[in-house]
Amino acid sequence: MTAIRCQGLTKRYGSIVALDNLDLTIEEKVIFGFLGPNGAGKTTALKIFAGLSRSTSGKAWVVGEEVVSHSRSLQSKIGYLPEEPAFYNWMTGREYLTFVGQIFGLSSRDIVKRCNELLELVDLSRDASRRVSGYSRGMRQRLGIAQALMNKPSVLFLDEPCSALDPLGRAEVLETLVRLKEQATTIFMSSHILADVERVCGTVGIIDRGRLVVESGVEELLQRFAHHVFEIEFEEPAASFVRLLESMPWVERVAVEEAGNVSRLMVRARDETRAKLELPRMIAESGLTLRQYQMVLPTLEEVFIELVGNRKD
Amino acid sequence: MSSFFVLFRKEFKGQLRTYRLLIVVAVFFVFGLGTPLLLKYLHALVPADSVATSIPEFTTADVVKSYISSLGQLGLIAAILVAMGSIASERESGTAAMTLSKPVGCGSFILAKLAALAVTFGVAIAVGAVGCYLYTVVLFGNPGGFHFFVATLLGALYLLFCLAVTVMYSGFVKSPIAAGGLSLVTLAAIAGTAGLPGMKDYSPGALLSWADNVASAGGPNSWWVLIVSVALVIITTVIGWQVFKRKEL
Repeated sequence: MTAIRCQGLTKRYGSIVALDNLDLTIEEKVIFGFLGPNGAGKTTALKIFAGLSRSTSGKAWVVGEEVVSHSRSLQSKIGYLPEEPAFYNWMTGREYLTFVGQIFGLSSRDIVKRCNELLELVDLSRDASRRVSGYSRGMRQRLGIAQALMNKPSVLFLDEPCSALDPLGRAEVLETLVRLKEQATTIFMSSHILADVERVCGTVGIIDRGRLVVESGVEELLQRFAHHVFEIEFEEPAASFVRLLESMPWVERVAVEEAGNVSRLMVRARDETRAKLELPRMIAESGLTLRQYQMVLPTLEEVFIELVGNRKD
Repeated sequence: MSSFFVLFRKEFKGQLRTYRLLIVVAVFFVFGLGTPLLLKYLHALVPADSVATSIPEFTTADVVKSYISSLGQLGLIAAILVAMGSIASERESGTAAMTLSKPVGCGSFILAKLAALAVTFGVAIAVGAVGCYLYTVVLFGNPGGFHFFVATLLGALYLLFCLAVTVMYSGFVKSPIAAGGLSLVTLAAIAGTAGLPGMKDYSPGALLSWADNVASAGGPNSWWVLIVSVALVIITTVIGWQVFKRKEL
């Protein structure tokens, strides 16, 4: 079932087009990574989905409900974390979560229970009675994640959820997101930390200058942008095998690295299909001790740069 | 609990925790006590060889008139200063977006702010009025409890109108300073209309002169001023709500 969908979503600020005819379809129970350079339109799209901004044209649906600005029915089903979560500094962390629970109409007993669960989840239990004004940026980010989860949302919109966190905090948040997905929550997260996206997102959309450049499963995307490079490792020198490879018409280039007795070959193929057929046979016939053989996929970062970086003026 | 009451409670708690309630009460208490004290001892404060001889003896009516005038002037400044950031600063900091991404209506958001400010100023006006009344009784004689009470209520309604205008502008713009400036200009213009022949029977600015009349137990009642003022409080709140809900957060 579709969790988030938009058709021709466009947002203009005067002459500036922040979103240009965005079409997206995101299935339930996935973590969708929304990528793009600064100013690409990620935050604008998130704000429209969260009912905080109106589109100039086009429509969007979240959990089957058409997105209308400040729709209370829709907002009771979603969670939203802005890029820089802001709190009432005179409140403590627990007080803020209690306030959010009251907004969602939870009973006092449920609020106490949920607050304890969420404070535990984001590792803020010990600081729950401290005023938010004394929180570090990472603590505020974690409190922001907790408040977005108060209503056990069906869809969670997160704008750069890991941007203010240290590597340990990032890892914890990403693990939390994976757990939430397992509990049937759809997560829509924008991020510029591509390693994080690659780690947890099943599908991604890359946006540039308000336009969707690509929407795809992460694995499919990496396969699509694979550079036909094969990595082969032998447990002995492989000079004669390298010469043999270089004589093949379907091989473009062979790079060799030798570390001790181990030879590491990076074979870039002109013809991927022939390489896939020929290489295993040649390795078997070479008499060398094979240590590793794999097709090298690009990282998401490399794909991102290829898609977006080349479009820069 | 409806979202209005949740937000109202949060607003009122915020007024307490940030000492805004305490400061506003202290301001009104000081000028409530200060007005009769100042008028009683003005002769003693001014050097004997200067204009002291030309200062008349003040009566109870003079004290109440001076108190109502201070309520209109100091109260207006206090109302603008306290209310100008009520929505603008929340939009600027991002807390409004956090709150309004939840199932909260923009109407409840604005109404809760106005209600919490009204309670704060209501408490402050009450404390100031009690102080002023008691000191006036002690130093000048009884000004008439009922008339003093009604005059204070009219002054309070004027300040409620000032708060409603300031909260409305605070929802229009992101800068608290701009909201304060717009409110000051608008309220000064409205106060100016109280002196115009065709407007003095309708302008909220005329609430203070009506309060003066009530305090001195003379002059006609201006029911249209009351009706128009209440209507304008409602209209400015509705305009503020309608404009605010169209704003990008």
